[in-house]
Formats: sequence, C-alpha cells, structure tokens
Amino acid sequence: MKKKRLVAMSMASLMAVTSMGFGITAKADDVVELTFMGWEASPLETQAVEDGIKAFEEQYPNIKVTYTPGLAGSEYNAKLLSSAAAKALPDVMFVAAESYRQIASKNALMELTDKFDENYPLDDFIASSRQIMEIDGHIYGISSCTVSPIVYYNKDVFDAAGIAYPSSDPAECWTMEEFREIAKQLTTEDIYGVYGLETVADTLNAQILSNGGTRYNEDYTQSTMNTPEVKEVLETIKAVRVEDGSAPDASTLDAVGMSAKQMLQTGKVAMLVDGSWSLQELAASGMNIGMAPMPSYGEVLTTGQAHLHAISATTEHPDEAWEFLKFLSGMDYQGALVKSGLWMPNRYSMYEEDAVNEWYDENVHGDSYRSMLDYFRDAAVDPTALQPSAQARDIIAEETDMYFKMDQDIDVTLQNLDSRIDAAIADALQQ
Amino acid sequence: MRTKKVRKLNDDTRWAWVMLLPNVIGFVMFMLVPVVATFVLSFMKYDMLTPPKFIGFQNYIDMAKDPIVWEVTKNTLIYTVLTVPIGMCLSLLLAVMLDQNIGFRRFYRAAFFLPAITSMVVVAIVWQWIYNPDYGLLNYFLSIFGIEGPKWLLDTRTSLVSLAIVGIWKNVGYNMIIFLSGLQGISNSYYEAAELDGANKLKQFRYITIPMLKPTTFFIFIMSVISSFQVFDQVMLMTKGGPGRSSSVLVHYLYQNAFQYFKLGYACAIAYLLFFIIMAITIFNMRMEKNMREIY
Repeated sequence: MKKKRLVAMSMASLMAVTSMGFGITAKADDVVELTFMGWEASPLETQAVEDGIKAFEEQYPNIKVTYTPGLAGSEYNAKLLSSAAAKALPDVMFVAAESYRQIASKNALMELTDKFDENYPLDDFIASSRQIMEIDGHIYGISSCTVSPIVYYNKDVFDAAGIAYPSSDPAECWTMEEFREIAKQLTTEDIYGVYGLETVADTLNAQILSNGGTRYNEDYTQSTMNTPEVKEVLETIKAVRVEDGSAPDASTLDAVGMSAKQMLQTGKVAMLVDGSWSLQELAASGMNIGMAPMPSYGEVLTTGQAHLHAISATTEHPDEAWEFLKFLSGMDYQGALVKSGLWMPNRYSMYEEDAVNEWYDENVHGDSYRSMLDYFRDAAVDPTALQPSAQARDIIAEETDMYFKMDQDIDVTLQNLDSRIDAAIADALQQ
Repeated sequence: MRTKKVRKLNDDTRWAWVMLLPNVIGFVMFMLVPVVATFVLSFMKYDMLTPPKFIGFQNYIDMAKDPIVWEVTKNTLIYTVLTVPIGMCLSLLLAVMLDQNIGFRRFYRAAFFLPAITSMVVVAIVWQWIYNPDYGLLNYFLSIFGIEGPKWLLDTRTSLVSLAIVGIWKNVGYNMIIFLSGLQGISNSYYEAAELDGANKLKQFRYITIPMLKPTTFFIFIMSVISSFQVFDQVMLMTKGGPGRSSSVLVHYLYQNAFQYFKLGYACAIAYLLFFIIMAITIFNMRMEKNMREIY
C-alpha cells in the first residue's frame, strides 16, 4: 500500500512539475548564447537565415545563436509583445518597420546611434533606409535591406499575344494609361492582364506618391488621403477591374488555393504588381520572367522599406549582439539574400559597380534588373514605415475593401480614411 | 472504530488532494491567475513593453465610445443567433435519426463527428475553396440550377453568414454525440407507456424526448453560446474580419488591440465585456431552466 502511494505521489509530483513547463538547459561557460527571433516569410528565407547563422557561428565560435522563427505579420508582433511582457525578449530580433517607432518609443530597443563610425558609416545607408532607422536623430535598429513594389510579367504570355515587353529602364517608364492598355490587350477568357493592384498593402503608396499625393502631413500627425490625387489612384485601380475587365476580384486568386505568384508562373495572370522580394521565388521557379518599374502617374518612383534588426534593451550581451547585428547587414548575410533575389541592398556602396558585380546574378536578376538599380536605391521612403500607428494599415485595408468590393462611395471612403487614421494616431500618441 | 473511520476519511481526503494537485496547480496558474490578471489589467494602460499604469475606468469609458466595439459585438450576436439555434436543431435531428436502428449508423455517427476533430486550419482551407465565387463548389452547385451564387466570404452581406455555416458544420457532430448520449439515457418504458396510451411518434418526441433531454439541451445551449461568443480562429483564418469589418467579432478585435495596436489594457476590458455578456446569458438561462423545471 505504502509503495503504491509512493509511486502515486512521485507521478503526481512529476505531472505537476512538467505541467509547469520546467526545463533544464545547459550552457558552456565560455560560449555566449544569443537568442534571435525572426519570421518565416518563405522556406527560402528561412533557409537563408539558418545558413547565415551557421556562417556567423563559424566566424565567431564563442557565440552561439539560438534562432526562434515565428509567423509573419500581426502574429509575429503578438509573439514579440508576449515575449516582452514575459521579460523574455530575444537578444536580437526582427522588427517590422511599421511597428519600429512604437516599440522604440517604449524603450524596448537598445540605442545604436553611437555604434556608427567611419568603419560602419551611417551615411552609407540609402536615404529611405536611413529615414526609417532614425527617430529624432536616434537609431534603435539597422534596416535589413530595402524592398520595393515593381511589376513582374510572364514573357511567354506577352510573346503569345505578340506584345512587346515593357522597358525596364525607369527613364522610359510606362504610364498608367499605357499599362492599362497593355493589361487589356493581354486579357483573354483564360488570362487576366494584371493582379495585385487592389491588394493595396504594399503597392498603394508608390502609386499615391507617383501621382503627387501624400499619406501624411510632414510630421506624420495627420492623415492626408482625402485629396484628388489619392482619389484618382483609387479610382484608377478599381477601373482596371470594373471598366477594363483586366483584373480579377481582389483576393479571388488567393482563395483559389494558388498564390498570386503561382498564377503568374502558370500564365493565369500576365502581370503581377508585387514587392521586389518575390523575385527570389519567381526566379527559383525557372519561369520566363521579366521585370519593369511601377507604371507612372506622373513622377517615376517606387517606395522602399524593410524590417529592421534590433537589439533588446534588456540584453545581457550587447557587444556580441552588436557583432551579430553587423553580420546581418554585411555581405555574408544581406549579400547572400540580395544575391538570391529576396532583398535589395540598402547601402550606397553596394550599388557601386564592383559591389554590384559581386551580388548581381544573371540567373536571378536577368538582364533587365540592372537598369532598375538606381530606381531601388533612390526609392522614396514608404510612409507606412514612418507612421505612428500600426492601426493605419488595417484601416486602409478595411476602407479600400469597402470601396473596391462593396462600392462604398469614394468620397466617403477617403473621409473615413482620414478621420479613422487621425483618431488612431491621436490614440497612439497618447499611449 | 469511529476514530479509525474519521482518520481514514481524512487520509482519503488528503490523498485525493495529492492526486488532484497537478490539475489544481494547472487550474490556478493557467486559468484563475490569468482571469484575475485580466480583470486587474482592464483598469490599466498597458502595452506589454512598459509597466502598466492605473487609469481607473478609462478603458471601459473608451470602450463605450468606440463604435467598432459595438459593431463587432453586433456581429458576434448575429453569429451566435445564426449558429446556436440552427446548430442545435440540426444536432438534435441527427441524433434522433442516428438513434434509430438504421444501417451503417456507426459510420454515420463517425462521419458527422469528423469535422469536430478536424483542425480548423484544414477546415478553413477547404471551405475557402468551397466558397470561392469563381471556382468554388458551392457556386458551381448553384449554377446547375441557374442560380448565380454570391461572393460569400468576399461580400459584406454574406461574409458573416458564410462563417456561421462553417461554425454550424464544424460543431454539429459534437453536439449530436452529446444529444445521442442524452437520448440513450431515456428509458424505453416511457415510450412503451405512451404508445399504449395511443401517442404517435411526434407526440412522443414532444412530450417525452424534449422534456427528458432538457438537462442535455441546457448544457449544449450554454456551451454553444460560450463557444460562439468566443469564435476567433475561423475569422482569423478565413476573412481576417473583412471585407471591411463585416465579419470581425469581439475576440478578433480584442486580439488586434492586444497584439497589433499595443493596447493590452483595452483588450482586457473588451475581454470583460465578453465575460459579462456570457455571464448574463448564462444566468438568464439558469433561471429559465429553473422555472421550466418547476413548471414540469
């Protein structure tokens, strides 16, 4: 009987201990363990991160990096905030550009302003990246790269339709009218001319800025979307589907079970407006792909932004974390991802001819990408990256949804956008 | 003899507590503490990055003024009204059918129960395909009869209904099993006596089955209301609350505030709004159930 009780008690204790999640970790004294958290946007990106960590650990045998991948988007933010609440922020982490300002304002990130010197000059960062990194002259994270919306097209579909490829040279950039006309010509019973305009999250700002519009006032305290310039852009996007019949319903393609990229690969859509990061996956698929700048409404431009790499303010290993941060923006890591087509470089020095020759890969970037290098380098900063409230992205998605899908009046949409974003900004500034 | 019995009782009680300890620890740590912490945090301004600050009832005042809270509460109520009564009626119907001596009834029971144990992620992917306006199975089926189907998840007028259909489909099998166990607990003698008195099947169902199933029905109703008020995963996976805010529900808005907008304190206040709504409905139902019991 006693024996039975002893066994029962041991099992109960064991269950209690395991239910509380106790674990045992061992760490060698001479090796510093850095925790690192990022997101997994694609299997190729995850592989690149893991390869990068391996290369770093070979260079720095005294530092071990433990990587915790998470989901992208809001789920990543949820994980990051939960870790912060549990006082368990990783030493080094990805921070989405649109959350960076809010997170930095809570003193959660280590200040890096003094870390830059002649060996690691701040001036080398391209303007859009530097604008994102700097908050009132202080820096709390290093821009990982730059990514920009562009147009991808399936050359085979163009060939079959007997239509000439658009120029990749921004100096000969197509206008929005020309783009719409080509999209119409490419549209058949089985093929949509274009996809990606109504999924506005990553591509809308470039069009607004190209048309002379703005998203915010100068100090980003007020939304400025209720203008004729923004109205024209939204009306044009909708007209491509409704009037021209060149685009499917927003989200329709995603719901088929194929991604938009897969639809481009299979020739179901002829052109795809998407971020430059898609090049990695499209190039890896072996499709006959071409790239062109965003169609112009007036000014030829694209927007640039990217997540940042930051160090937690509570890290116990600031020096090792800084070494890792530098590594992440160096040729071994950033360079490899740039070479793969996922990222574009965010340093002026990497756009110089010798450096370009190091990372430019004809098999990935093709023959046309070279003429777009200045276009990426001189991209306007994406206003989303500087906005004080992350809620603005949801508001834009909700209101444009109502306009594109439910025929909400355009003027009501624009008024709602400004009033709701202003309220969100006021709320965020109070927090 | 008496002392020995008392000691044995004490001994047994002690051992019962020891055996229950893992569960009690789990309950306190993962249920009770978070529930209390959520209540406390609902009076704080808290972004999870800086220490919480006490702000009294400000979160509740802001909530009262926030039109989105009322919009998502309305959506949640509509979802509940759509899923609970229809889901329960269907579950009862299936349970009664599968309580009969029909062929393959074990197979049917398993088949209807299958959605309940299928991952919501899988369910969401399959139903997104079914609902696809251009390529989906549902609109194809409707087109056979010359009906042009709606855009389901992509239309503000049908997005919530579409989610409700998935909710009903997912839970109907689970409730059916509970109804089945309730049906099997009703003694056959009641039906035999009624039959001798000349009651037809419909009357037997009305005057025997329904009253005898009352505790089961009450249990299913309460659990269904609670789970429908807490609906989140299918919203997050299938519509993300859109188009617009047409399918956003309380828990989805709570999640957005907590983890996207850095407003955990406000999210906790929304959690307590949800708590009070569910509590009010549960108390109302318990009273109703008590009154009904007195009538019968």
